[in-house]
Amino acid sequence: MSFLEIRGLYKNLREFSLKGINLDLEQGRYLTLVGPTGAGKTILLECIIGFYLPDRGNVILNGEDITRKKPEKRNIGIVYQDYALMPHMNVYKNIAYGLRKKTKQNIPEKVQEISESLHIDHLLHRMPKTLSGGEQQRAALARSLVVRPRLLLMDEPLSALDPSTKKDLRRMLRRAIKKYGTTVIHVTHDMDDVWTLGDEAAVMHEGHIEQKGLLGDVLEKPCTDFVAEFVGCTVLEGKVLSRENGLTEVDISGTRLISYDQAEPGEKIRAIIRPENIILSRTTPEKVSARNVLAMRVLEIEPENGLNIVRLVCEDLTLNVVITNNGLHDLELRPGEEICAMIKCIHVRLA
Amino acid sequence: MFRRIDFFRGGVIAVSVGVTAILLMAIGSFLIVPSWGAVWENMHSSELLFSLRLSLWTAAVSSLLVMLLALPIGYALSRFSFRGKAVVKTIMDLPVAFPELVLGLCLLLLFGKTPFGKFLQQSGLNFVFTQKGVVAAQFFTALPYAIRIMKSSFDFINPRIEFVSRSLGYSQWETFLNVTLPLTKSGITAAGVISFARCIGTFGTILILAGGSAGKTDTLPIHLYLNISYGNMDMAVTSGIILIIVSFMAIFIFEKTEADL
Repeated sequence: MSFLEIRGLYKNLREFSLKGINLDLEQGRYLTLVGPTGAGKTILLECIIGFYLPDRGNVILNGEDITRKKPEKRNIGIVYQDYALMPHMNVYKNIAYGLRKKTKQNIPEKVQEISESLHIDHLLHRMPKTLSGGEQQRAALARSLVVRPRLLLMDEPLSALDPSTKKDLRRMLRRAIKKYGTTVIHVTHDMDDVWTLGDEAAVMHEGHIEQKGLLGDVLEKPCTDFVAEFVGCTVLEGKVLSRENGLTEVDISGTRLISYDQAEPGEKIRAIIRPENIILSRTTPEKVSARNVLAMRVLEIEPENGLNIVRLVCEDLTLNVVITNNGLHDLELRPGEEICAMIKCIHVRLA
Repeated sequence: MFRRIDFFRGGVIAVSVGVTAILLMAIGSFLIVPSWGAVWENMHSSELLFSLRLSLWTAAVSSLLVMLLALPIGYALSRFSFRGKAVVKTIMDLPVAFPELVLGLCLLLLFGKTPFGKFLQQSGLNFVFTQKGVVAAQFFTALPYAIRIMKSSFDFINPRIEFVSRSLGYSQWETFLNVTLPLTKSGITAAGVISFARCIGTFGTILILAGGSAGKTDTLPIHLYLNISYGNMDMAVTSGIILIIVSFMAIFIFEKTEADL
């Protein structure tokens, strides 16, 4: 039995809906929930916290069915993208607001402690509208964390912030969540949040959870094409040729790849490769530990989020490779040129 | 450098200024036409003081009642979806478009002719041709305006702030008191002021439901009307001047609070 169990949750709000959500989360884990706009991520959070009553299904927290419990009785915190600070209260009163309901003791000390750990102790007397986005979000986070919620839900908490504030806040968030040992579900669009914050990841699509698991598994072994595309993997359809010395040889439309994953000869498989697990070289090395060394041609190069996506082709095989600006500069790559791509066999995942 | 003549811009500004000038002249004629000695004397006459007192207390009571009901109705219309919401909204808005005389007639029939009205009369609540009727007439005339202002002022508050308050342990009622009400302070003032002004100015509804009997149900607008029909222009103008002062004060407070909204 998990700390949080969601069983067969349905909710129809016309443009958004949940269609049979099942989800398990252990105490103290940090789950990032990703998916395209309209996938139903926010409604799922609002069903968990109790702002929507699901049409069907159950939400069980710590063994107790809370599906019909009022939001104020659940002790679940929420942090929104637009901060939702009370505009008529200063930062101190905002943070103390939830504490006042639960306890009469040590409120100033508790507010001071959480504000110090989120570096907003100098802003306590300020009104929310006088703060920057990052400061407002830290105040909102402090307000939710200070009451020690059993579960903290965050709906794109960082997406309204500029990149450098985002980076700082991610670091602070990670530290604060660890310190308080809070169980978290964090809805995001940003794969950087998934990489840096989550222990686990779940991908939602059209009201379903397509895949949920440990971060590495979801990122490297997506179980559907949708998840693969969403997390940026290349998926190649193929067939297993042989299995020798613990390595599996697969045929991908004429190109042979070696994988460390197990599969039976003759079996139809999908080989999944992450773009950052491919190394490019101008020359073909004679002796190299990588089991897959492919002579490919550069199709195009596109900048993305400060990195570069290089699209390579070799017969019917297309691969995306992500390289830094420095890497691109050293290789002096141009479209149409020949290049050698190397992939370790553990990075060719079979599904 | 010459700016090219912009006929559209010039046209709309000319219309605004022109109409304002005509209105201003109409209001200004109050200051030119009467003999000020008579106005000063009328201000102290017992009939006018009665009308003023009646207008003020009935408008105060009705706008208080209006606000007590506009708050929950405005909140329900802004926050919740429920079966029949569209009907409630339309019916609540109807009196805005209704001629006051028709509204008055509807109320007269409701309180005078129906079993519901008879029941109220037996319970001691007689609204027909009484001062209670003045309050009822003002109440129904002003209510839709207050509901509209309250609804849009609740719409303006991010519901997520209320969600967060509930997630922190506060019930819906506590959240309404701690978060929603303080955030809609300017809306409440605006709705209160507009209701009061609307109540003071109600004419047709009162005339039909409460009757226009001098010394009993003649609020300032009725007083003005009765004096015009008697040919007592100075007295009519005096009531008019008082009504204008009240309206200006209301609009001034409304504009002030609207700036904070």
